[in-house]
Amino acid sequence: MKSKYFQYSHLLLLFIFLMAACKDDDYSIPDAGTALQNDCIKRSLGPNMVGLKIEFAYAMALPKTKGNLVSAQVEASIAGASTTYLENNSYYTNGSGVDVAVPIGLPSVNDGAVTTVTFNVDTSAATLRYYYVVPEAARGKTVSFTFSAKSSDGAIVSYKMGPYDVPKMDYKLNMVVTDGANCYVSIADMAVYDQADAALNADKIDLVYLYRSLTPLIFEHALVAPAADAQYRPGVTLPSGVNKNTKVLKVYGLQDRDLSNLQYNEYVDDLDFQQLDLSTAANFAINLKVEAGVWVETADGKYRAYIFVNSVSAGTTKQMTISMKRYLL
Amino acid sequence: MKIHKIIKHIAIKHHFVLAASFFLLISIFAGCKKDEPIDEDGLLITTRTECAVTNFELLGTDFVTVRSKTAVIDTIAGTINVEVLFGTDLKNLYPQFTLSQDAKLDPKITGKVDFSDMTNPKVYTVISGNRKVRTPFTIFITVQTPTL
Repeated sequence: MKSKYFQYSHLLLLFIFLMAACKDDDYSIPDAGTALQNDCIKRSLGPNMVGLKIEFAYAMALPKTKGNLVSAQVEASIAGASTTYLENNSYYTNGSGVDVAVPIGLPSVNDGAVTTVTFNVDTSAATLRYYYVVPEAARGKTVSFTFSAKSSDGAIVSYKMGPYDVPKMDYKLNMVVTDGANCYVSIADMAVYDQADAALNADKIDLVYLYRSLTPLIFEHALVAPAADAQYRPGVTLPSGVNKNTKVLKVYGLQDRDLSNLQYNEYVDDLDFQQLDLSTAANFAINLKVEAGVWVETADGKYRAYIFVNSVSAGTTKQMTISMKRYLL
Repeated sequence: MKIHKIIKHIAIKHHFVLAASFFLLISIFAGCKKDEPIDEDGLLITTRTECAVTNFELLGTDFVTVRSKTAVIDTIAGTINVEVLFGTDLKNLYPQFTLSQDAKLDPKITGKVDFSDMTNPKVYTVISGNRKVRTPFTIFITVQTPTL
């Protein structure tokens, strides 16, 4: 009885060993392809805003015995802005980790939505970078790309990328607001006006910038709606007709990469504006510091915006540099 | 010989029955522990009777404190007096309570709270760990006054 009992135990142990031995095979270098082949990655991150570049790296290669590369092209579903290009350099990374460019052909040519590079060197492998500058026509739509390469043996390969959303929002960087001078902010125009221009654009003025040192209060840099209580805009005489009651919600640490001059890795996107609830927001934000920001909704409910504080300076200058993303509701 | 095999078979069977019974017994004992009492929120009810606010904080929409000085907590009177900075958006504040051990707060704080109605100050009730003592705390907010 005992021996039979142990026989089962051995079987159980054997099964456990078998299971433990089931590990993945080691990596082995794949065999090179026997024909022209291609691959593509999207290198840029974040919202694909109008005016910004979407960057791709497109790789193509064929065995040396089959011939060489003749041309590469990209077709976008919506023609890019005129500055869209496919680089005529291929890159390799040297021992120091630096990308080194190797010219492979003439500069690219744009023909409508198609961008082409024709090779003029004898090469059987290349990785070209494609920079699609998002056009105004793509705002609020999606855009797709078809990359293709042609080799001297007549082979053609292609690779599809996308679709990618193009957000509705706009942006404007590094606007300087100065206390008592260019202190009137228009969301509609994404601009800053002085007293005289504010009077001419009174219906577009959404915020007033001011700096006050009111010890023991902490006031300093502020963005307030023209209709805010006078105690939040002491000493400010508004131009005639500047009276909007803009909603303002103060935040801190929302460091949008686009607005912070590519310093951080967060993004404000269309979705943030769509989900924003400013129903109980105030109409002023005081004591703003560097990297603080305000969510804004215009009095007519037409626009929402996020204003990021890039820098502040007190002393005699009393200035703030701001950047803005704006969403049309 | 045949009888010998049958006896062997019965012995093995008996062995497994014993083992199974043993595990069953262990499972039953492991399952028979006394249940700890929990409340409707799934929190442990203990024997503690302390019912106090030990610290109070108010954060603005930027999650930075809006207090101009430390909040004054009167456990006997059940009041919390806090002065906030000039320009505080009273409609959008995040209160934070630190309570005595095992106590809980009613109503629960689930997000922003509107403190703008100063004539009707907010009242929060602290419930002791044994869930038998309830102490209301009224929050009185004053705003720094501008000296323009």
